[in-house]
Amino acid sequence: MNTNDKLDSLLNKVIKPGRYIGGELNTVEKIDYKCHFGFAFPDTYEIGMSYLGLQILYKILNDFDDVYCERLFAPALDMEKLMREEGVSLFTIETKTPASELDILGFTLQYEMSYTNIINMLDLSNIPVLSKDRGEEWPLLIAGGPCAFNPEPLAEVFDAFIIGDGEEAVIEFCKAYIRNKKENGTKEQLLKSVCMKDGVYVPAFYGPVYNEDGTIKEILKNYDAAPSIIRKALVQDIDVAPYPENPIVPLIETVHDRAVVETFRGCTRGCRFCQAGMVYRPVRERSKEKIIDLAVKQLASTGHEELSLLSLSTSDYSSFEPLISELMTICKNHNVALSLPSLRLDSFSFKVLQEIQGFRKSGLTFAPEAGTQRLRDVINKGITEEDIYGSIRQALELGWNNIKLYFMIGLPTETYQDLDGIIEIGKKIVRMNYDLKGPKGGRFNVTISVSNFVPKPHTPFQWECQDTPDELIKKHNYLKEGLKIKHVTFNYHDTATSFLEGVIARGDRRVLKPIIRAVELGARFDGWSEHFKEDIWLQAFKETQIDPCFYNCRIRCEAEILPWDMIDSGVMKEFLRRERAKALVGTTTDDCRLSCEVCGLKRYTICKQEGVNEQVSY
Amino acid sequence: MSKYLIRFTKLGYIKYTSHLDMLRLFKRSFKRAGIELVYSQGFNPHPHMAFCQPLSLGYESNCELLEFEINKPMEPKIIITSLNEIMPKGICITSCTLLDEKMKSIASTCYEATYKIEIPIDSCMTSLEDLLQQFLSQERIIALKSSKKHRETKESDIKPKIREMKAEMVNNIIIMYARLDAGSHSNLSPELLISSFCEFAGIEAGRDKVKITRIDLKY
Repeated sequence: MNTNDKLDSLLNKVIKPGRYIGGELNTVEKIDYKCHFGFAFPDTYEIGMSYLGLQILYKILNDFDDVYCERLFAPALDMEKLMREEGVSLFTIETKTPASELDILGFTLQYEMSYTNIINMLDLSNIPVLSKDRGEEWPLLIAGGPCAFNPEPLAEVFDAFIIGDGEEAVIEFCKAYIRNKKENGTKEQLLKSVCMKDGVYVPAFYGPVYNEDGTIKEILKNYDAAPSIIRKALVQDIDVAPYPENPIVPLIETVHDRAVVETFRGCTRGCRFCQAGMVYRPVRERSKEKIIDLAVKQLASTGHEELSLLSLSTSDYSSFEPLISELMTICKNHNVALSLPSLRLDSFSFKVLQEIQGFRKSGLTFAPEAGTQRLRDVINKGITEEDIYGSIRQALELGWNNIKLYFMIGLPTETYQDLDGIIEIGKKIVRMNYDLKGPKGGRFNVTISVSNFVPKPHTPFQWECQDTPDELIKKHNYLKEGLKIKHVTFNYHDTATSFLEGVIARGDRRVLKPIIRAVELGARFDGWSEHFKEDIWLQAFKETQIDPCFYNCRIRCEAEILPWDMIDSGVMKEFLRRERAKALVGTTTDDCRLSCEVCGLKRYTICKQEGVNEQVSY
Repeated sequence: MSKYLIRFTKLGYIKYTSHLDMLRLFKRSFKRAGIELVYSQGFNPHPHMAFCQPLSLGYESNCELLEFEINKPMEPKIIITSLNEIMPKGICITSCTLLDEKMKSIASTCYEATYKIEIPIDSCMTSLEDLLQQFLSQERIIALKSSKKHRETKESDIKPKIREMKAEMVNNIIIMYARLDAGSHSNLSPELLISSFCEFAGIEAGRDKVKITRIDLKY
């Protein structure tokens, strides 16, 4: 039982050394393999290990004999400092292999604010950041995850992006890598051989040309055989797709320390601000039997004490009630807690919540997203005033005394009347509680959390302008004033972070320069409010002469070539235009389960949920 | 209800797993192994399971003790094999004994722990044994104890808590064996002993280079 002496002396000095040791239950050791793959998560261990995609890909890659997949995470600041002082480069946590010795290093792009960590992790690995500076001796760098739907800000960093569902595409990529290695092929040969596959985007084969005003004139191809449009990778049937039955169980406490089963992928609701709801289409469900089977196996192999389901809009699952009833029985028998995120609050949900939360009612969360019906119709958030107040009344009657509400501000067409709507909702709930419980109602709190709307690529709002930080601050202050009500707590999200997130989310290749400069100036963990330093970014933009407002503070013309136009999420641009036009006049669009709205997915696949509920009103 | 005591190792990287995380690890492992622990009643049921003398983060050990109660009696050998099958690297159950239910908890009867302490120094120290004798024959052995609560350091005499000490030089490493008071009545952390000894001997060994292994625990 030996530890590496150098690493040991580092670990003796850092906070939570358990982040760096590996050796958790259900991790994999391999000696014989042809492709050494590093799955890199650009945040701390506790966050990365709570991410289901890591568990899925770790399993799939390691189930493949020729590949050995290990994990890498961003070291916390104290560890990074020591690593730099002692000359320890970034290592995999399984075998402590330096990242630069891997064959493929794959990053997951979950959040724009983690991009600085990616650059920093490459620096800590002594790997050149730009793909053009990396010869054959360096690992192949790839990236995937939701943010890969606009790969452009990191286009000059990665050799290839995997767009869409990773399960099959990553394996195909590794197979091609092994084949190419066997034939002594170069990186370029490999990339040429994979670039026509669904979901593979090789940025070096494309080069944008800019107009004088900074917009994109055209996207040129540097390799003729590369496809003009890259269609996302799509797993047709997730019921048979591999899924971890024995996920890794961290030794230290992580954000989500529990067994989790993905019930379905995609969402039929069509909220216009939601990128996930657009790019993960169509809805693909796992069968109830499969979900239960996976849950039971995971609980047995991990010993976890909590089980959770994962999907967008959980209660939309077709056989939701029978599934939950069965799972509740299983959990009871195993002494396991069941937790259900993003429930629609109808009578069944209340019955379930009553049962699983029991006496310890932790609090109920609602997401009306906007304060008035008009604005909710603009964003196509299909809930009404009656829905909100009906559910809250029921929650109060059943004894919940901690209500949380989520809103977004800065949405397209928003006025101060919509902000008044948020205040009004807060007031009404307090009054409702008073009417129900009288002056001695006991402990009661309404938390109103406001986040700042960030327009995202591949959504109907991709052309919109984002509120400037000044406008957002004004709105925050207005709400802060209006919500000075007893029993109401008001929270809001930092404006500088949202602004930056907006710039990167819809950025092009030129945005990379300020990102790299910010890292040089010390930017790390920008998604953590305690680490985010606005002045670094101001300086980085200034020095690299990139105007962030170009990306954020203008309404883009619908004819403009957008940086991510070569990526086909399955949803047609025509559909997004149509949705945007409807949004601006406040017309709603039906849930896909009621009728098909022709988003374009059916060009590529069968959409099983289309119109299934046509006959049923709900 | 049957009460058992297991002895296990904590070696290698797993030493960076904290006491609380070890509790979670064992709780999950019992569950996976199908060993049903007795749970307390009430709103927050917790399993009847306790470590004897929590081990500091970063220490290795050959002799950790864990006591637990299960509903249905099991063959100790089966407990050992079923736990060892699923334990992470570095943790190995070395023995399991059935205890008398009426016996006081091991945590409360524990009185002594022995540590192996390895301090790397720049050169060989020939006079180590004499030095140790001088150290031990001081009238009082003063150590500075810092209290988290009051944010101050306090002097205390640790001499009465040192039961026995031996030391030898191996390849520029001072290897000390220290038998110290442990438990709820009287307890001495090896940290205090190390800092006190290093100060006495004029050794400037970085704390991060010192290796500590618990090699025995008496109850």
